[in-house]
Amino acid sequence: MASVGTSSALLRGNGSSNFTDQWPKMQPIVVKLLKQQEITRQEWQDLFWDVHTVCSWDEKAPAKIQKALEEVILEFTREIQTSVSQHKEESALLKAYIKEWTKFFTQCQYLPLPFQSIEVENSANKANKKRQEGNKVQVLMLQTWNRSIFADVRSQLLSAAMSFLYKERSGEAYDAQLVIGVRESFVNLCTDTSNKLQIYLEYFEKSYLEATKEFYTSSSSQYLSENGVQNYMRYASDKISEEQRRATRYLETSKDSQSVKLVMTELDRILIKTHSDVILEECPKLISANEVEKLMVMYRLMDRIANGVDPMLKCLESHIVNTGLSDMKAHAEVITTDSEKYIEELLKLFKLFSELVKDAFGDDSRFLTSRDIAYKKVVNDVSVFKLELGTKGKVSGASKTHPESKCPELLANYCDLLLRKTPLSKKLTSEEIDEKLRSVLLVLKYVQNKDVFMRYHKTHLTRRLILETSADSEKEENMVEWLRDVGMPAEYVNKLARMFQDIKVSDDLNTEFKDKNKGSDTADLVNIKVLNAGAWSRSSERVPVSLPTELEDFIPEVEEFYRKKHNGRKLTWHHIMSNGSITFQNQVGKYELEVTTFQMAVLFAWNQRPEDKISFESLRLATELPDPELRRTLWSLVAFPKMKRQVLLAEPEVASFKEFCDLTMFYVNQEFGLVKQGKLQKRGKINLIGRLQLTTEKTKEEDNEGIVQLRILRTQEAIVKIMKMRKRLTNAALQTELVEILKNMFIPPKKMIKEQIEWLIENKYMKRDEDNLSTFIYLA
Amino acid sequence: MADGQSLEEPPKVKKAKGKTPTGPLFTLKKWNAVAMWSWDVECDTCAICRVQVMDACLRCQSDKKQEECIVVWGECNHSFHNCCMQLWIKQNNRCPLCQQEWTVQRFGS
Repeated sequence: MASVGTSSALLRGNGSSNFTDQWPKMQPIVVKLLKQQEITRQEWQDLFWDVHTVCSWDEKAPAKIQKALEEVILEFTREIQTSVSQHKEESALLKAYIKEWTKFFTQCQYLPLPFQSIEVENSANKANKKRQEGNKVQVLMLQTWNRSIFADVRSQLLSAAMSFLYKERSGEAYDAQLVIGVRESFVNLCTDTSNKLQIYLEYFEKSYLEATKEFYTSSSSQYLSENGVQNYMRYASDKISEEQRRATRYLETSKDSQSVKLVMTELDRILIKTHSDVILEECPKLISANEVEKLMVMYRLMDRIANGVDPMLKCLESHIVNTGLSDMKAHAEVITTDSEKYIEELLKLFKLFSELVKDAFGDDSRFLTSRDIAYKKVVNDVSVFKLELGTKGKVSGASKTHPESKCPELLANYCDLLLRKTPLSKKLTSEEIDEKLRSVLLVLKYVQNKDVFMRYHKTHLTRRLILETSADSEKEENMVEWLRDVGMPAEYVNKLARMFQDIKVSDDLNTEFKDKNKGSDTADLVNIKVLNAGAWSRSSERVPVSLPTELEDFIPEVEEFYRKKHNGRKLTWHHIMSNGSITFQNQVGKYELEVTTFQMAVLFAWNQRPEDKISFESLRLATELPDPELRRTLWSLVAFPKMKRQVLLAEPEVASFKEFCDLTMFYVNQEFGLVKQGKLQKRGKINLIGRLQLTTEKTKEEDNEGIVQLRILRTQEAIVKIMKMRKRLTNAALQTELVEILKNMFIPPKKMIKEQIEWLIENKYMKRDEDNLSTFIYLA
Repeated sequence: MADGQSLEEPPKVKKAKGKTPTGPLFTLKKWNAVAMWSWDVECDTCAICRVQVMDACLRCQSDKKQEECIVVWGECNHSFHNCCMQLWIKQNNRCPLCQQEWTVQRFGS
């Protein structure tokens, strides 16, 4: 009892604690606070105390306080409303409003503090409704402001802000803070906690968007018609960055707001999309004029809208294809015969296109892809020249092939020029050769039928290795590794590597052979190369030749030596590849001739009868060479290019080796001599080998056919491999996987794929799904 | 040019008859002979791995082995990659082609 009495006495000691008594004391302080007038620390603290005591004394007090507060605030805001709305002019009104609002908004942070007790009371009453986040007094203040001022001047404020915006866009400087203030009041006035931006979205964002739309719809069209497309692109891109800055300044950028994005999208639509046809029309012109800067502007504009750059990609592609092909056609005469010129032309084009993509489109990957697609078309084009790969339809399901680009063949020829001892490779430094070889690989990347390149490259390599005409063996081996790096099939690259290995093994073999035969003729005269048949030659065809006894005698010696060294191996002589040098002595002088073994066989026929004329027929009997090979060999001795005096003379003279008949007579030119700068030389060395014929005419044809047959087998093999793994696959998916597997060798034509699938179905490797004919099922 | 034309005339050759130098017209100075070697086998393909015996066996190819992948002959005269056969006889000491007991006749080298 005593304690209760004490406490009530204490409270009473401070005067009455009921609302009616206390409010008159609190009210003036509240008004002062609202008006941002100075109050003393005592007044501020008293307010806390009073609110607290009243609330703890009277449980109905919080509601009463709230009601009273509302009245005070209402009265206060009315005063402001009157003072603000007396400004009739928009900008003055705006300024006045912003000034009052800024003050009021600050007070919204302070005034609620003493009234914490109301909050506690309320949340205690509604314990379950915790979602009420904002505090009561603040909400009260903002709502009151909203009702008594904002609702009144809202439209005026907005229109003032928008006219500011308009003036700023038209180039007049304005106080940005005013527009920002309007936006802030729109954002902060909202008391709906679930959608804080509601008022802002409903009024401010909407107006901003509309004002922007209106402004640019008219001004963009006007600018375009007055200044032309190219200037317009510059204008649009300037405006976009300007508006981007403006939007981030004036619009709400908090996380929940999409305003900036919304406005920019709208702007893109107005400035770019509506005029995209006109803009894109410029694209081909700019590309052909190489106007990279303008293209860059266009690219950046078009990239802002969905699928905007697609038409540009098409433009670029057709530009590359057209330029590339017309360039090729213009130089057709030179490039079809000169692989160096052709490749350099191709590389020049590639560089040109790549620079364009870099400078105009910043190496955007989509444009790079377009460049690649188009360049591939140029490289694989067949209109300037083509390679015919014939088949005779012997293979299962094979049909006529379509013509292919000669590019891979010329690439291989160019490689040969760089790797062989040639005027070109001598002229270039090591680094230059490396660079050019790398560029060959670059073009090779775009070649569809890499298998053709590989075949020619291997033939050239074989020649260089057999004739020992490589310019630099280190580069040769580097090249093999580079080919591996760019994804050439391993089995092919391994064979090349194997060839180098064989040459080294042969070198050792030779040293050993010479050691064994020291002092004999054999050691000095014979060099042997024993090569792995699997790596070097696929064709099994051997050309028979009856060797001169001088050569024939070495054969058993070599074979015997080899048999002792190795076990289980058999040797096959490939005289079509072998060669040597002989001395030719006549009345004019003594010469060293580098010749093929076939040439040797023919020439040695005269050793027994130097003065005789020998008929074609007798030569055939003597050498046992097949007719075409004999013709070719004789022709190389009768009409070697660029030689004033030939080794052999024919009677009657003929214009081509096809005209030789059995009775054509041949005899040694006793006046043969080397002519240098118009002077006859008594001694000298000459190479009559020329381009070493590695295959006969017949095998060449077989070779071409071989490529096609190999492709067919590879296709079948790949299809089976895929089906075995997938078991069940649609036609489209099968084709995609197939191309993926084979693309490093060749691109299988659709027709061939179809034929091979049919063949595999016929032979029960797979079948069609009965319910869906375009799906295949693997049959084990 | 006049020089070249006169060369074609047969009489010139006849005139030269008496002056023919001694020794053969053509003498061999160097011969670079090329031969291909292959295993002396009846069948080009290894029946175990289905790769040509001249190429390394599948296992060696995928391991990228540098040393030779040699061939082995059995008493039955059938031949296989030695690597393939080594694995085969661990399971079954018979020739995969003729089912005779496998005895090595010789190794390739």
